[in-house]
Amino acid sequence: MAAESQPITVMEQGREATYRFLATLAELKKSGQLTRWIDDHDILLYEFEGQIKALSNICRHFGGPVGYHKHKDGVFTCLWHNWRFSCKDGSCLSHTGLPLRQYTLKVVDDKIYVDLLG
Amino acid sequence: MWNYYDHEHLVGTHFKLYNRARVLAERDNWSLVLRSKRMPFLPFYTSGIGFQYMDGNTMKSFHKDSIGFMLEMEALFKDLPNDRCSVTVTYRINTHPFFKLFEPLFKRLFKRWFWATWEEDAPMRLRRWKVHQLGFKDFSGVDYINRKLPRPENLDPGKYLFNPPVRSSSPIKTVDGIERPFDHSTELGYTDR
Repeated sequence: MAAESQPITVMEQGREATYRFLATLAELKKSGQLTRWIDDHDILLYEFEGQIKALSNICRHFGGPVGYHKHKDGVFTCLWHNWRFSCKDGSCLSHTGLPLRQYTLKVVDDKIYVDLLG
Repeated sequence: MWNYYDHEHLVGTHFKLYNRARVLAERDNWSLVLRSKRMPFLPFYTSGIGFQYMDGNTMKSFHKDSIGFMLEMEALFKDLPNDRCSVTVTYRINTHPFFKLFEPLFKRLFKRWFWATWEEDAPMRLRRWKVHQLGFKDFSGVDYINRKLPRPENLDPGKYLFNPPVRSSSPIKTVDGIERPFDHSTELGYTDR
């Protein structure tokens, strides 16, 4: 894992948003997908259709790791009980109404930052 | 105990070993389950019926296989201080006398099987506890994370309550049962601390 970078604070939509370092672009490029904990947040970072995206890695069923398997055909399948989620937006394909929370990202100098409250 | 009563995870967490599961009947302290699995380190599948029940702090399980094996298992659960517990598991395998010749081989194969399933389950158990500490609720998630809110100052996950049978929304309790969706995948693994 790359050395921690300082958080970035910016004003966005009337609030002070703090972006925490998540990973480098090089780390993400290795497999196109990785997971990492920041404080209480287990974050699933991945590339899909040319975009870098992040979702909660905590399955809303029983809390399993959604990103354990590499996504296939645009779908994540949770390791524990095979609940399926769309790579496009985290929507749950097994049970509508239980999407994965999406995170807002910022890429600066080949480093990816995440807003835990955004 | 949650892990043992969560039959659905057989075709998820143990997707390389089990390919089908169906709960035939269950109540709060027993269950009868049909499972189909790959034989330990052998290139064929067998199905079998498993019955398990709670006897105080001990779970007893009997699994009769279609090729004649019967596995008996006793798991003794003990609560320990500081959010810890001990689980002591004893396995006994009954076979047709013909297989007596192969006892040393079976001992080795089954030991490897038990360790393989234990190692696959261990991170599941630890993560289940970890997300409980964050306030995770089944079929919901971690509320403040889903709502993009800061962690509540008075977050109290409460005692971990386990009330079997485990709730399920898959067809595992129907005549269809559930099947694993794939044999192979690119595994990126757990990154839990």
